[in-house]
Amino acid sequence: MTDKETQMITEKRVDIQVNGQACEITVPAWRTLLEVLRELGHKEVKCGCEKGDCGACAVLLDGKVVDSCLTLAWNAAGRSVTTVQGLGGPDNAHPLQTAFIEHGSAQCGYCTPGMIMAAKALLDDIPEPSLKDIKRGLSGNLCRCTGYTRIFSAIQAAAETLRQQETTS
Amino acid sequence: MLPPFELLEPHSLDQALKMLATSESVPLAGGTNLLPDLRARGEAGGRFISLAALDQLHGIEHSDSRVLMGARTTLSDILHDPLMPTAAPSLVSMAKVFAGSMVRNAATVAGNICYGSPSADVVPPLLSLDAELTLASAAGERTLSLNDFLLDYKKTARRPDELLISVAWAPPTTATANLFYKLGRRRGDAITVVGVAVTITIENGNCTKARIALGSVAPTVFRAQEAEEALVGGPLTATTIGTAAQAAAQASRPIDDIRASADYRRHAVHMLVRRLLTEAWQTAGSQHD
Amino acid sequence: MNRIESPAAGTANLQLRQVGKPLVRTDSPTKVYGTAVYAGDLTMPGMLCAAVLHSDRASALLRHVDTSRAEALAGVHCVLTAADLPPSQGVMTDMPGQTGGLTKNTKQPILAKDRVRFCGEPIALVAAENAAIAEQALRLIDIEYEDLDGIYDPFDALAPGAPIIFGDDNVVASYKVRKGDIEKGFAEADFIVENTFTTQYQEQAFLEPEAALAWVDEHEVLNIRSSTQVVEHYRAVADAIGLPHNRVRLRAEFVGGGFGGKEVMTIEVWLALLALASRRPVQLVQPRERSFLSHGPRHPFTMTHRTGVSGDGKITALQIKLTSDAGAYAKLSPYILLYATVGATGPYRVDNLHIDSVSAATNNLPACAFRGFGTMQANLACEGQMEEIAKLLGMDSMEVRRRNFIHTGDANVTGQIIRSAVWSDQCATQALATLGERPTDTQTTRIGHGVACYQQSYGRIRWMKDSSEAWVGVEMDGTVIVRSAVTDIGAGQSSALAQITGEILGVPMDQVVVYFGDGAVTPLAGTSTASRALYMSGNATKMAASQVRKNLLSCVAGYFGVKIEQLDMCDSQVFIIDDPQRSIALKDCVKLCAAEGVHRHNLAIFRAPTSEGIDPETGQGEVFPDFTYGAHAAQVAVDIETGEVKVLKSIGAHDVGQAINLRAVEGQVEGSALMGQGFALCEELILKQGRLQTGSLSEYLIPTSEDVPEIKAIVLESRSGLGPFGAKGIGEPVYAPVAASIANAVADAIGVHIFELPITPEKVIKALREKESTK
Repeated sequence: MTDKETQMITEKRVDIQVNGQACEITVPAWRTLLEVLRELGHKEVKCGCEKGDCGACAVLLDGKVVDSCLTLAWNAAGRSVTTVQGLGGPDNAHPLQTAFIEHGSAQCGYCTPGMIMAAKALLDDIPEPSLKDIKRGLSGNLCRCTGYTRIFSAIQAAAETLRQQETTS
Repeated sequence: MLPPFELLEPHSLDQALKMLATSESVPLAGGTNLLPDLRARGEAGGRFISLAALDQLHGIEHSDSRVLMGARTTLSDILHDPLMPTAAPSLVSMAKVFAGSMVRNAATVAGNICYGSPSADVVPPLLSLDAELTLASAAGERTLSLNDFLLDYKKTARRPDELLISVAWAPPTTATANLFYKLGRRRGDAITVVGVAVTITIENGNCTKARIALGSVAPTVFRAQEAEEALVGGPLTATTIGTAAQAAAQASRPIDDIRASADYRRHAVHMLVRRLLTEAWQTAGSQHD
Repeated sequence: MNRIESPAAGTANLQLRQVGKPLVRTDSPTKVYGTAVYAGDLTMPGMLCAAVLHSDRASALLRHVDTSRAEALAGVHCVLTAADLPPSQGVMTDMPGQTGGLTKNTKQPILAKDRVRFCGEPIALVAAENAAIAEQALRLIDIEYEDLDGIYDPFDALAPGAPIIFGDDNVVASYKVRKGDIEKGFAEADFIVENTFTTQYQEQAFLEPEAALAWVDEHEVLNIRSSTQVVEHYRAVADAIGLPHNRVRLRAEFVGGGFGGKEVMTIEVWLALLALASRRPVQLVQPRERSFLSHGPRHPFTMTHRTGVSGDGKITALQIKLTSDAGAYAKLSPYILLYATVGATGPYRVDNLHIDSVSAATNNLPACAFRGFGTMQANLACEGQMEEIAKLLGMDSMEVRRRNFIHTGDANVTGQIIRSAVWSDQCATQALATLGERPTDTQTTRIGHGVACYQQSYGRIRWMKDSSEAWVGVEMDGTVIVRSAVTDIGAGQSSALAQITGEILGVPMDQVVVYFGDGAVTPLAGTSTASRALYMSGNATKMAASQVRKNLLSCVAGYFGVKIEQLDMCDSQVFIIDDPQRSIALKDCVKLCAAEGVHRHNLAIFRAPTSEGIDPETGQGEVFPDFTYGAHAAQVAVDIETGEVKVLKSIGAHDVGQAINLRAVEGQVEGSALMGQGFALCEELILKQGRLQTGSLSEYLIPTSEDVPEIKAIVLESRSGLGPFGAKGIGEPVYAPVAASIANAVADAIGVHIFELPITPEKVIKALREKESTK
């Protein structure tokens, strides 16, 4: 290979915004966003299967929900990542988080961070989702504890809260 | 954990095609099939060309006679396109039951087609719509039908230096019904046990065009052409539909696997083709009336 | 409000302020904000990553294991095989966490030595600088196998002349129950109904794969922080590697789902060995594919019921044969078989009874504990048989059940008198009624309703002499601390202790902090298994809190010059019941106690009822502390052309004794509804010559959000249980009837029973064809 463009680059500096914070990491091409986020200390991004079957590692990438285990870190370069910690915390809880707490939607809690991010993407897309929309929006996020019912009701409640916030603001 | 591999990141289509021509490499789009495969194999090596930056492969254009879909169109893009429910009803039905949100946001139409899996859900709807594919290489472009593109189990007509850049089809007329059904072992995010797409056009009370595309019941997604022929030229009756459904089942060459037996798959093809044809006749027929 | 309380309940005048309310669990916020820490999230300076090499043969001699290439790889710190372990190497897989009682002495090699007995058996351990190097090292370990004949069916294993995998005869365990006069019972029968039911392997599929971190600290104590249901594994680790018990400290982090799969020790002992060998902290997080091989799935069972029944639906005789596939090692198979044996007659009284049960060793994956622990498989057969009896007699199946239900005061299978409430009928009636009207059939769909009852124990086998300790104390500012080594596996185990303590001491739940799951600093609580955590630790905590209350009130009584009985505690105040204006803040009350040298804390131990075992010839004796009863009902739509089954409604109604946290109870019922649906319809570990064919979450299919029916939980409270405030255990019980109710609903829909789980579309079509051909 003589063409300069096809020279192999083994490692590359990648700049990613994580929850509004600029992060910079040098990684090889085969490193996934999941691995990078966890190396950066974002342990709230969970690993359940590493192949897109469970959704525990779901994060928002430029506002779209992705499995971070199926996203190469290089492909996240220059983009913005939101994890469940970026959505809110005890002092600034997102209505989804408040609703998940109030509805008892987390049991073992391991699917919860990914589930909430999928729910966030769903509500961004469909602010007034039907039960059918919710079921479709979460079908890539497995939960083994809850039977999903309290997750559904929390999302409906959060949607209502967000609607009210919309009308009063 | 993924094994080491090379990733080339072209910024333009030309650059990508040049890379494909000069280096032994595989185009990487959404990665939802290729990355799990790599991880399962666990062996270092291989070179991929990321299509992430190729904006010209995005976008869906609609005109009266033609829908042109960029190869990097994702399954989510299909669901978000306001014209798609009429431009490709079966494709929309399919996208709704395709994996989960995250995979729908990543997986592309081209990736699903080029992977060549018999259970590729994107394929039966597009096959039932007589979709055509445009492949580009450094040497130029060529267009061929999706039907001719699918050769065998995970074998397609794409040459190693080619990139699938777009998919096009004629949107169905109002007298056409275009339906899809996916049978899986669970309702959400499942590998297809049997996938069926049908297109039926009814003119003056007669079926003038029939397409039956079947997934997961042969080494590749395929059209049951004998079954299609049994339908064209007259009204669809219980008898013609039954004959076609039978022919579709006979044309299937399924295997036994962890999801279902070959026998069951053949049975399901029979039942689902019959059901979808009956429904298609009713909907297309009522459009016509 | 789906809640029914008994007016005649035992503690009718009890006024509960917190217990029973659907309060926010203490562990909810941290999980929802993403700050909760799981074992795989921990890091330490200098931490190594581990990886495990699992056998890819089911039955073979290990001719040669060569680790030299792996050891030579840069970044590899140690590679361990059986040759590096003490000759007696092995880890006890007997009922974990027990301090007394009988043991089965079931030992399993930590690493395979001369022979592998199942596909997935661990052979070598690696610790390396990072996970990528550890993985690469695994590929550099050369193994020479010599394949041996294997056995992959328990009936083949029990046949004369079978190759021996376990003991002298491949029998891992067997039980006999002999009760009444079975010949006479069959002679009195008007009909005899015989059917054989089979169940499949079920995988726990917790979302968090096995994970742990181990290191040797500055006191030469081996520390392990793990995702486990059992803190007391520190003893088994110590015994396995030859350390004194006080040199191993095990802490259980939040567990991302257990369901029994993290009951028997999984990866802790491997990490202990690596940490000792490398003198570095070592972490292992099993990739999903290896998680499938690192714990035992649910046992497949074959269950034959031959039932004699009178024309009016009364069971006159019952002969049951149970066979389970234990896989290559015993693990908990003997106990699981015992649970199945005791659960084999469901919630029914059978006076003339023979049960013969056996668990056989094969070269399949060793099966182990999974929510329900044998009872739910046995119950499936029992409840399917009820439907078949009803069909033969032309009776309503609920009517057949009513004629045979066990009642309080009756003797169960093993002759144990049931002392708590048995509300099977109420639960089943409520659940069925809640299903409502049937939608009408269409040309291609048939609607079915099904119900199933059950009897499931809570608490450990009596001869294990179970106990649990808890410590409760009040700080000088009036806040409260609970210490209990209970593991928090997602059902609200620690939160319930806060709620109970808050109730007793009259403080809001958020004023209580629960330290849990630390084998070194929290009093040992036993395990979060066997639906015992709330029963045992709830009682211990209540006892400790009650003693603290007594101490505090005695000081206040002196202060006000009243009797203790005249005082109550609420909202962090102590007040005189008849004169609530006279009150003292809890923090001031604590100061009074401190000044007088009165204990503001207490360590309590709760001990479960015990027995000395069962008669081996008759199976008679007291096996469990008590049982939970209830029912599940399902409405299904079956597509008779494709065989697809869609669950439309799924209703659980259970007498939980007393809900501690109503929302948590409902959450258990809802979660079990979907897990049971998975078992009934789509979950199946498929093994081919011992090799797993469905070892990922795209091949092993648990229900998704798209599979969720309308789910309802109906909570009944008899307050008759042995737990705190009359609670019964519910974690497993609520799961026990689900699959049976769905199987029965499918049978109702298509008019033919499918005796083999899971009920796949394919089996539905086959059953319909057979029905058609016998017409």
